[in-house]
Amino acid sequence: MSKSDNANKTVPDGGHKSPPKPPSFTRNLNSGVQVPASGINAIHIDSAREMVKIHTRNRLPQTPPNPRFSIPTARNVSVKVSNDAIASMSSSFPKPTTNISVPAREHTGKCTNPQCAHCGSVIIPAPKSSFPIQDKPSITINDWSIYTIKRPILSSQELDDLEERFRFPLPEMIFGNNSVKLVNDKTKSIIEFNALDALDSIDKSSDLKVSYHQEWLEARRTNSLSTDSHDASAEKALKENGNIDLTKYTDLETIKNYDWTYSTNYKGSITNMEFAKTDEKFPIDRLLNPDPILFFDESILYEDELGDNGISMLSTKIRVMPTCLLLLCRLFLRIDNVIFRIRDTRVFVDFETNKVLREYKEQDGVYNDVLGKISGKVTSDPKSLLRDPNWVSQNIPVLKSELEAAQLTS
Amino acid sequence: MDLDTDVPMEDVSDDHSETYQGGAKIDASKSKPSELTGDSVNQLDQWIEKLANCEPLSEQDVKRLCDMAVDVLQFEENVQPVQVPVTICGDVHGQFHDLMELFKIGGPCPDTNYLFMGDYVDRGYYSVETVSFLVCMKVRYPNRITILRGNHESRQITQVYGFYDECLRKYGSANVWKVFTDLFDYFPITALVDNKIFCLHGGLSPMIETIDQVRELNRIQEVPHEGPMCDLLWSDPDDRGGWGISPRGAGFTFGQDISEQFNHTNDLSLIARAHQLVMEGYSWSHQQSVVTIFSAPNYCYRCGNQAAIMEVDEMHNRQFLQYDPSIRPGEPTVTRKTPDYFL
Repeated sequence: MSKSDNANKTVPDGGHKSPPKPPSFTRNLNSGVQVPASGINAIHIDSAREMVKIHTRNRLPQTPPNPRFSIPTARNVSVKVSNDAIASMSSSFPKPTTNISVPAREHTGKCTNPQCAHCGSVIIPAPKSSFPIQDKPSITINDWSIYTIKRPILSSQELDDLEERFRFPLPEMIFGNNSVKLVNDKTKSIIEFNALDALDSIDKSSDLKVSYHQEWLEARRTNSLSTDSHDASAEKALKENGNIDLTKYTDLETIKNYDWTYSTNYKGSITNMEFAKTDEKFPIDRLLNPDPILFFDESILYEDELGDNGISMLSTKIRVMPTCLLLLCRLFLRIDNVIFRIRDTRVFVDFETNKVLREYKEQDGVYNDVLGKISGKVTSDPKSLLRDPNWVSQNIPVLKSELEAAQLTS
Repeated sequence: MDLDTDVPMEDVSDDHSETYQGGAKIDASKSKPSELTGDSVNQLDQWIEKLANCEPLSEQDVKRLCDMAVDVLQFEENVQPVQVPVTICGDVHGQFHDLMELFKIGGPCPDTNYLFMGDYVDRGYYSVETVSFLVCMKVRYPNRITILRGNHESRQITQVYGFYDECLRKYGSANVWKVFTDLFDYFPITALVDNKIFCLHGGLSPMIETIDQVRELNRIQEVPHEGPMCDLLWSDPDDRGGWGISPRGAGFTFGQDISEQFNHTNDLSLIARAHQLVMEGYSWSHQQSVVTIFSAPNYCYRCGNQAAIMEVDEMHNRQFLQYDPSIRPGEPTVTRKTPDYFL
């Protein structure tokens, strides 16, 4: 990412020759506050649609529920809705019980996120550069409050402020204000996942190189293999350039090494919580139950396109069920024609016993081995599977897996 | 190939009633593009209208369009001269509706002159419509809009990052992808605005010290992995001085001393480039010898960044216009994530 010289002087519309601007959102430069100039707030549109759906749903023929995961039309589930615009639809839910609340009891600020009328899960808007929406949905269940925050990527100013903390180029998309946080209100224990802490725990260097690294380097060192040398004028240009000693630019010693793949081994940031190794098994059985999902969110913490050589992405997913939750923080790395890498941290919280399990798993796979597994499976776009972290995770070997537990007692 | 730089291009007449002889056949022996016939103008206007509604052209029409475009682009120079005033734009990446927003913010083409610095395809959902639209405008108003080549305008990259898949999905075959990627080989790789602003997608190359050296390259080929043409489309400015290599093992970075020397040698005031995402849509580096412009707001529909374009007027005053993602009536502005029972 280019570092700015802090000289960004913007005149959004001064003396501009274009016709009147269409409705769009403008930024108030002086205060830095973003205000909608016109148009309808996205939430309003969605609320309106939600209302229409509520009114018209009963006219539609009932579709049979998904046989595996029946739609949890509020058996034991109850949800209290804070947003007035949506409040009327909560009439279709039973009266709220005491141990679940949306937003979380300790939630500060406005919770503007609507909820799905079917399953009660909180609907999360995608980050928008200029919406005044604070994306802070949250939920409380028993002793636990769960918060997620989604904001745009860091601004140049925010990146400049981080220069002291990180002495290497940061990923090009860094959602430094995103986080997912699990708080036990009684013990004040917290486990949180955010991008900056994750970047603190990457290695100092990386031995990985892009697939055409040698080719690139050799071509520049010998300075004779250029594919430009097909006709006379290009030959001439090359000869003129021939006196430039390229080898001096391609000394590998000059490379500022850092882990450009951003392969973090981040397991979350912990406050007031102690984990110890355990021989238990991760409770997959319980997670296979089609319990209603009361709260669901996913977000990206950072992403880098590796200069169009693949992708490195750290993302989180969380689902909260009435008795437990699952949080997955996943690093997915693909260097085209070189390697696949997955590093998963899974956090399981049992709301009834206040036990927290944390599983950390590392997987690496050679690119061509993985490519070999898809031959014949898909016709039109075979490489689409290579962009699917779930599929890749099932098709590359596990190098390391560890499970820890923390029992919280107040 | 030999590029005859002495033949001035004439502006295309907007008068539909005029008719010219000859169609848009490729003829390598010619030294300038065919004039557009009245029929061609009508045809292009129809295509532009269709594309403006985000409807892709038929495969046959894409082929005809690309034939016409080769006829225009093959006569452009490696360093395409551009006059002021002009509005300079960065990556678009298939975000068609945001491109329409760009034209609303910057003023409609051809009333405003535009210079795009590459990366029209991949990542976004509407690469086909985006690149078809820009190529249509190029053929229709060749002296009003300049479209440079980005590193994504290549056969290799488009197969990984979406354009190839999108063509398969929308046309049922890779024919349209083939036609477009063949056309990309003809795109000019740099532009020079009034001899003062050097515009290109990536950045400088250690093999290029003068702009004349760019003029001598053979650009009509797939973007190579090595050589100056590769660097021009791939390299990045860096805080460190001198030339550096990316820790990825390929690709150069250049420091402030390099930019300043290049600007001095070539009597330039600025290097304008794209290629890198910036939250504000533009970003100065190297004490204002280099500017990065990025014109895809909310990149990949999730970054929440602003986009920007840079207007340069007759007096060489520069002004940045920032803008946000277009908001389309009737389409959800809120992404609903369906809860899934992930493990």
